Amino acid sequence: MKTLTALIRREYLEHRGAFLYAPTLILVVLLIITASGVAFGRFQLDERMALLPALKVFEFGTLALSALWALYLMAALFFYYADAFSADLRNNAMLFWKSMPVSDFGILASKMLAGLSLFPLLILAAMLLTALIVFGGTSLSALTLGIPVPSLFAYLSSLVQIGSFVVVGVALALLWYAPFFAWVGLLSTLFRRWSIPLAFLIPGLAGLAENLLFRNAGPDGGYLLSYLRHRLQFGDNRMEFGEGFLTAGPFAAGPMLGRLVASIDWAQFAGGLIVAALLVLAASAYRRRSVAA
Amino acid sequence: MNDLAQSTAAPIITARGLRKRFGNAEILHGLDFDIPPGRIYGLVGHNGAGKTTTLNAILGLTSYEGTVRVLGEDPFEKRARLMQNVAFISDVASLPRFLRVRELFALLTNIHPNFSQEKARGFLDGTDVKMEARIRNLSKGMIAQLHLAVVMAIDARLLVLDEPTLGLDITYRKRFYRRLLEDYMTEERTLLITTHQVDEIEFMLSDIMFIRDGALVLHMQMETVSTRYTQLIADPARLAEAQAIGPIYQETRFGQTAMVFDGVDRERLATLGAVSTPTLSDLFVALMQRGEK
Repeated sequence: MKTLTALIRREYLEHRGAFLYAPTLILVVLLIITASGVAFGRFQLDERMALLPALKVFEFGTLALSALWALYLMAALFFYYADAFSADLRNNAMLFWKSMPVSDFGILASKMLAGLSLFPLLILAAMLLTALIVFGGTSLSALTLGIPVPSLFAYLSSLVQIGSFVVVGVALALLWYAPFFAWVGLLSTLFRRWSIPLAFLIPGLAGLAENLLFRNAGPDGGYLLSYLRHRLQFGDNRMEFGEGFLTAGPFAAGPMLGRLVASIDWAQFAGGLIVAALLVLAASAYRRRSVAA
Repeated sequence: MNDLAQSTAAPIITARGLRKRFGNAEILHGLDFDIPPGRIYGLVGHNGAGKTTTLNAILGLTSYEGTVRVLGEDPFEKRARLMQNVAFISDVASLPRFLRVRELFALLTNIHPNFSQEKARGFLDGTDVKMEARIRNLSKGMIAQLHLAVVMAIDARLLVLDEPTLGLDITYRKRFYRRLLEDYMTEERTLLITTHQVDEIEFMLSDIMFIRDGALVLHMQMETVSTRYTQLIADPARLAEAQAIGPIYQETRFGQTAMVFDGVDRERLATLGAVSTPTLSDLFVALMQRGEK
């Protein structure tokens, strides 16, 4: 466990740019934008919104920005795995890592776990800070416009509800997309920086070949591409989530999570995790035979 | 040319029929050797002779045919476990450059059970390498010092150095080897070094192996080298006589004819000119060229 923790910390030290420095920069920009928006009265809270308009705006702003952070996380993780699985080759460092009493699978598993634990936690921290900025912006705008300001308890309650939904949602999404991350990781082990285009090119070509060879058989676009289309979609569709959010009173995580959990294909979920583990195993088997410095 | 009856202690390294192929090309042609504990071995050969491939097999970095045992373990199958008792420097530039020296030591403390941070810090005392320095900002010589401090702080039974001083100036090279001898070597430890600067390590070697085209052409203790091989600077008047004895190598240096003899009585040669023990580099040239057209 000590070794695994140390290796995850190593990943943090090597890749903190995308998960610490860049989010910090984004938060500073967001803070400046919010502060100037409040200062210049650019935020207009619509009085026709529900009973607690300022709280609703806070919830909407926090959820929308959390969704953007989640997208940022997924994209950053994709690039992280495309880099991290071959990062040991940089500056001849591979042989140093191979001089350590850690197996190749152990090294790659630590990279996989870093992307599914520590880095999401950093982005969740950024989401929390974003919520604080939204809280500040909403409260100050409400005060300026003479709209009732929700109590601190109402804000905290809302934050807990949103936080629960976001944490569980992000955790499930990360595990759902784990095989795609492992796929680009495996390609990175084999082809280094070419892993990113190849991650799309290989399934694209395979899908094309299937369509050419077995024309008019199976679903539209062929089995492979329609499966991938289905597999890339996580949870319920956006409209239903939006409706759930708009029709409800204060945001409640329970029903939303219930809907999310019900919408997940759990067989695919479990199968995906097995595939992810096998892909990491394959990457480590290749890495074990590779002494490229 | 092997001198295997050197020690009754169980060998640290055993190789039997060690072969390695890359595609259709066989790089190692069935090497057989034992390396007993407490010795300092030099493995010398031309570029492409198979030195690094041999070391990679010993370190479990590459697959091979035949049998190799290091500390009783199959290195390719048990590399991670083996690395608890084996340390190696494969290249002076192989330390992870994104870390600070302090971070590297903290990482090693948690990853390597036999690494002593205290010792490593002690080895760096008096050098220009500072704990807060980023490795990427260190000079080549400082990185070599740091890497040596790292491996010397690992309580390993076998230390393998593959061209450890490549690209360093003479001052660093001499300091590197002096430090290694004074602060690291004990009777329980075994050192295996490959280098092209063979004259610089000759003073410290207990045994020597020459490898040519994937085959061992010499494997013996240094004491045996000095009794078995003789260099003769032949008296010009007795040149024909000396040649008649059958030198294994002959060359003209500054108008003088130097010959190397294998297993010829030194007193007999002394009547034909000035005799001495050939340096390792002279012997290397002699044995590498023998049999070549």
